Amino acid sequence: MLLRIAFRNVFRNGRRTSITLVVVVFGAVAMILFGGYKTVTFYNLRESTIRNRLGHLQIFARGYLSAKSQKPLQYGLDDVRALRGAVESDPRVKMTAAQISLMGLISNGESSETFLATAVEPEKDRSMSSVRLRAGSWIDERETDGVMLGRGLAEAMNARPNDYLTLMTTTTTGSLNAIDVRVAGIFSTGVKEFDDRAIKMPLGGAQQLLQTARVERLIVMLHDTEDTKAVETALLQTLRARGLDVEMKDWSDLATFYHQVVLLYNGIFGFLGIVVFAIVILSVMNTTMMSIFERTREIGTLMAIGTTRARVWNMFLLEGFFIGAIGAALGIAAGLGTAALINAADLMLPPPPGYTVGYLLRIRPTAPVLTTALLISVITATVSAVTPAFKASRLKIVDALGHI
Amino acid sequence: MPSGVVVLSNVRKSYRLGAVDVRALRAIDLTIDHGDFLALAGASGSGKTTLLNLIGCIDKPDGGRIALDGRDITALPLHRLAALRRQRLGYVFQTFNLIPVLTAWENVEYPLLLQKVPRRERDARVRRWLDHVGLSSAAKQRPDELSGGQRQRVAIARAMVTEPALVLADEPTANLDSATSAQILDLLRALNEDTGTTFVFATHDPQLIARATRRIHLRDGVIVEEEIDSPLVAQEAC
Repeated sequence: MLLRIAFRNVFRNGRRTSITLVVVVFGAVAMILFGGYKTVTFYNLRESTIRNRLGHLQIFARGYLSAKSQKPLQYGLDDVRALRGAVESDPRVKMTAAQISLMGLISNGESSETFLATAVEPEKDRSMSSVRLRAGSWIDERETDGVMLGRGLAEAMNARPNDYLTLMTTTTTGSLNAIDVRVAGIFSTGVKEFDDRAIKMPLGGAQQLLQTARVERLIVMLHDTEDTKAVETALLQTLRARGLDVEMKDWSDLATFYHQVVLLYNGIFGFLGIVVFAIVILSVMNTTMMSIFERTREIGTLMAIGTTRARVWNMFLLEGFFIGAIGAALGIAAGLGTAALINAADLMLPPPPGYTVGYLLRIRPTAPVLTTALLISVITATVSAVTPAFKASRLKIVDALGHI
Repeated sequence: MPSGVVVLSNVRKSYRLGAVDVRALRAIDLTIDHGDFLALAGASGSGKTTLLNLIGCIDKPDGGRIALDGRDITALPLHRLAALRRQRLGYVFQTFNLIPVLTAWENVEYPLLLQKVPRRERDARVRRWLDHVGLSSAAKQRPDELSGGQRQRVAIARAMVTEPALVLADEPTANLDSATSAQILDLLRALNEDTGTTFVFATHDPQLIARATRRIHLRDGVIVEEEIDSPLVAQEAC
């Protein structure tokens, strides 16, 4: 009966309940859109961080992560072929790619700039990477002196495809070495600071420049990101069993930028969430207080005929709960509809700080996002009714019955 | 302590009205007997509603003692008083005070739910009492779909459905026309005679005062006169 009374009371003052529901729905929609946007952003950032740069796992020679190397590739991997064979035997592994990072000077004969090069296996790198080719062509697997320049670096070097430049760096023995390279193509990643310094070159070219047969790391790509931890554990056991002395990091250990973005977004959306729910709390609280004021005599009657204070309190809490539940249900429907409209509109967002290209606004209202919206709406509305409901339960019967 | 449904001994009650302390009741001694059909009469401010509230356990005295069914209830905590009201008392209000979101049936059923009466018995009792007050056909109607007289009948059924020892009514006919008032009075008197339930009214209504078998006149918080009809007089008055 208490449930029945509380539920029917929700619809007693239609206009006021509608206004309150609009606020709860607004809160739920805001949460679904924020949450859906965050989900897409985090997912895309995670996957692009993994697919374009880090891979799911990186394998290094023992000492690479813990010891400070005095020379380039001092802790490099010697027998990458054996390592690769062991890793790729796991069916969850999609592929492996050896890489070397190096830095040095690039010169066109008139001016020099510092560069940060990533030496890659060109075919594999193309399948992993999302860089955009702006001019020329991708580097060829067989051409050891072909390189690709980041757009900013190409502009600084005044370089075009097929121009020749010189790369100079310190070798693994500590001496200086230089090679001439042909600009095969020019690329951009969308991150200006990176494009101003970046070079991609074939692994063979880098090994020639560094005068080594080693590679720095073996990147492991998986079919499914969710398998990362399990594969890491399995691979460590497999490699140890085969006598391969290596260290391993997963993408999360290496993705500093990703974690910074997650923190930033959680901070921003957390603050927005607090503002939205402060509005919801005040609205539901106001509605409950108005309702109690109007129904004071009724509360007195209920208590006079033997209803306990706890039941009166529960009745108003239930009304808050129902407002929250109805608002959440409507909010989820409205949130899903709004998300579908936004996705269908293909809205472009401006480039984020440090990027040069915008991106499509996408909202993905996943089950956890919808569940969170539902729970928070219901809990907030119920909690909002706590104080007014408590006041109602403390009314003196005589005063309540005499209320006009 | 004398026996009776309710016994009040030296009961006092004051309340504050703005800056003024109003002594609503001064040293009231009263015994309400089983089967009384008792009217508390007096002008506005005489203390009759305050006295009714104290008898009905919805207010507490500043001094003196109140006993219900021989048990001192003066110092009972609020939750025990709520249980007492649920089990032993029924209320009829001037403005009917039905729960607007419940149907006539549900309003009558509500006190039984508080008492946790099983479904089958609950249904039987609600049906019987709605039938008794002549509202079986209006069971599914909400209060705003009923006339004033019908609402008061529902309120009487709600008060009687728990079979209380005592029914308290504050100006039960004040919001009704004279014809409806007479019908309600007939109903209350019949219930009093048929079930032996004790009724106590606070009222201005001369018609109701005349129909009471016992009349307590209050003035400035003091009982100034008490009239008790002999059974013969009471019978003639009916």
